[in-house]
Amino acid sequence: MLWEIWGRHKVSFLWQGVALAASAFLVYWKTHGASESFGDLLGVASLCCFLGAYLHLMVCFSYMEFDARRVQLGFPGRLLLKPVSTARLVLVPMVFGGAVVVTIFALWTGLVLPHLSAINVSNLLWISTVLLSLFWWMQALEWSLPLLKVRSVVLLMVVVIHFLMLLLPGLVMTFAPVWTCQSGWLWGILYALLMSALPVAWIGLKLMRQGRWEGPSRISMLWSCLPTVRARGTRKRFGSAFRAQFWLEWQRQGWLLPGFTAAMALLVIPSAIFVGAKWTNVDAPPPEGILAVLLSGPLLLSGMMGPALAKFDLLGSTRELPVYISVRPMTNGGFVMAKLAMALASSALTLLISVAGICLCLVIAGKWTVFSKAGLVTPLGRVSYLNGCLPVLLLLVIMVWKNLMAGIGTGLTGRPWIANLGTAWRGAAGMGLIALVMAVNLYEDFRETLLHWLTGILIVCLAAKIAVSIAAFVWGMRRNAITARVISWIAGGWLVCGLFVAGYADHVCRALNRPDLWIWIALGGFLILPLADLAIAPLALAWNRHR
Amino acid sequence: MKFPSPSSAEAVIAVSGLSRHFGAKAALNDVSMFVSRGSVLGLVGENGAGKTTLIKHLLGSLMAQAGSVRVFGLDPVLDPVGVLGRVGYLSERRDLPGWMRVDEFMRYTQAFYPGWDEHYADQLLEQFQLDPAQKIKTLSQGQQAKIGLLTSLAYRPELLILDEPSSGLDPVVRRDILEAIIRIVAEEGRTVLFSSHLLDEVERVADHVVMLQHGRVVLNGRTEEVRGEHILAVLAFAEPPAKAPVVAGAHAVTGFGSEWRVLFGGSHLELETAAALIGARVVEERTPTLDEILVARAGGKS
Repeated sequence: MLWEIWGRHKVSFLWQGVALAASAFLVYWKTHGASESFGDLLGVASLCCFLGAYLHLMVCFSYMEFDARRVQLGFPGRLLLKPVSTARLVLVPMVFGGAVVVTIFALWTGLVLPHLSAINVSNLLWISTVLLSLFWWMQALEWSLPLLKVRSVVLLMVVVIHFLMLLLPGLVMTFAPVWTCQSGWLWGILYALLMSALPVAWIGLKLMRQGRWEGPSRISMLWSCLPTVRARGTRKRFGSAFRAQFWLEWQRQGWLLPGFTAAMALLVIPSAIFVGAKWTNVDAPPPEGILAVLLSGPLLLSGMMGPALAKFDLLGSTRELPVYISVRPMTNGGFVMAKLAMALASSALTLLISVAGICLCLVIAGKWTVFSKAGLVTPLGRVSYLNGCLPVLLLLVIMVWKNLMAGIGTGLTGRPWIANLGTAWRGAAGMGLIALVMAVNLYEDFRETLLHWLTGILIVCLAAKIAVSIAAFVWGMRRNAITARVISWIAGGWLVCGLFVAGYADHVCRALNRPDLWIWIALGGFLILPLADLAIAPLALAWNRHR
Repeated sequence: MKFPSPSSAEAVIAVSGLSRHFGAKAALNDVSMFVSRGSVLGLVGENGAGKTTLIKHLLGSLMAQAGSVRVFGLDPVLDPVGVLGRVGYLSERRDLPGWMRVDEFMRYTQAFYPGWDEHYADQLLEQFQLDPAQKIKTLSQGQQAKIGLLTSLAYRPELLILDEPSSGLDPVVRRDILEAIIRIVAEEGRTVLFSSHLLDEVERVADHVVMLQHGRVVLNGRTEEVRGEHILAVLAFAEPPAKAPVVAGAHAVTGFGSEWRVLFGGSHLELETAAALIGARVVEERTPTLDEILVARAGGKS
């Protein structure tokens, strides 16, 4: 088993090494000669390296395999038939994986983490133990609850508990110094949590080996026995093929972002209750912090999820169009439209959840004074709900939707190398933009020249984008991949969103007394909003569907 | 041996000079075939012969590298809606959404086909003894084949394409599925194309057969004609030959000593002549089964 674990994950070890080296280099650069603002940027990049690499490590060593028949992750089924005791099956991946997780964390702590101001590693033993406990519980639950619908909820609860445990020493030191005397009590809880993961995994795997998890779960059997519930569960037929496809997209991927956002709100709301109820007189986090987390969270999450959303089944191992979808009589443009609609609904619901979470947190934390009849009270002044908050929310919905659909043009091709190339290209473009902004800040001459030509550059880029889109539409029409109706939806949607951005930009520029900025923001808006990607998407899907 | 090409109005499927390569390997090589309305065509061949590749071309999942594919006179790549709306398909891989319940999958599929017959779907659900509340991932392989077949039949497609419908199924489920196919055949105007390597099924159901070997069509005709144009004979030699005799026109020669079994492609007279040429006589002969023909041809050169 050790050989198999090693053989399967040696590339992961390599990536850990690369990420660690890159992160250490960034930290070295940060501490040796980089300016303060640039140093902060390097710090963020290094932190991202750590989080990405460490999360990847934990997922790799959790020792799970995707079971295509059951459509879920779980303990590798083939190992259950080996002449090995269940205890050994449980202990080898847990102990080995745990050792790797803790050792790699120690390496990160030695080389990188102390130099990042965002992470306090003063209590290394505590953090390592919490991480080990989280890792073991993830393994235990993923292995032992393979068919339970509530598994995701249980997993989320475990993550929340460990997240709070991770924060606890910090909270203790900041808010209640008296708790530090009772650290032995806290350690007791942590050890109990850590050690209880082992029997849970052992019992779960033993039951699985005995075939107790096979077939429908007791909950679903009980459910199916209730005639009234079943009758209620029988839904009306879909009004159209588009609605059916939208339903499928929503079931597989649409709920994910709102779900993650709700989970994030669940993480933030207890802190708000904690802080609001206990420490209203101490240094509580300001409401802007909650606002920032709940609004920027969906933006970041949508950016991370976007490249994967072009798949028709997020958990599927392949990017190819599943047969049960590809043989349906629907145009490629129709499939793309269902995906776009799903992303839009997902973005809107996500932002609604964020706003609801923010309002709830602010009320709980005793900061309800930010809501007034005339508008939202912000550090920048009073902002009208209708003219200020609503357009910002709509802009956020558009941005989240754009992020979700960022990889659609390349991802729908079904070719992993093209999808990865697209992701790399977008990453490089983002880095290029950051570099450009930094250069503008650093070199005045460059800034002057760029601003002089900026309108022209933006117009040329926009013209190129429109030309590519028209070519893709024409080609798509010729190949029957797209209909005039779909084209009118895509082009019309882009135009309406672009005009909305331009209109709002005009309003803001006038308010700020900077009308000269309007043309750049308006053109930038039209450029950022996806059009060419969406125009190419039906062709990309046709290439995937008709290989 | 080839059955006459129907006119374009009659041809539900018309494949002409179709070739497909995956890298250096030729999966299909100059394949031509026609399937007329109301016929049942069995597509046979050993594993890797190109059956699934051909079917994927008919569904538009693969694009022809050379040649042309027309289903109902339409190109399935350029007009997927026009073609797929009239085709029912059961995949060999049973690629079904395991996360859906049976009734959800039926509801999802129904939305794409205006001709979905709810009464017929319920009838099939009952016949196949499927629980609508059960998740597809918890169904057995046979039950998954049944739900796949149900959703391919419920809208009464004009053309039914079944890729290895009985692969991995027990005899009882196989019988259920075959009976369902026979029922469809009984309905006027329905056309069925099914691939299988279980040739007793093909013999029972198909009125035409196309045999693929290494991506080429080696047999194409009415089932009875294909069988009738082969003879399985036993040749007796006065003196046992030192090595396997070479019989002109034979696809396979097996045996030892003075008696050799020959699968011969030709008439009785031609067999007698060929036997006489090598100093043997025909002591026994009968019409071979499709299975025997496939095994003999697969063992020989393409």
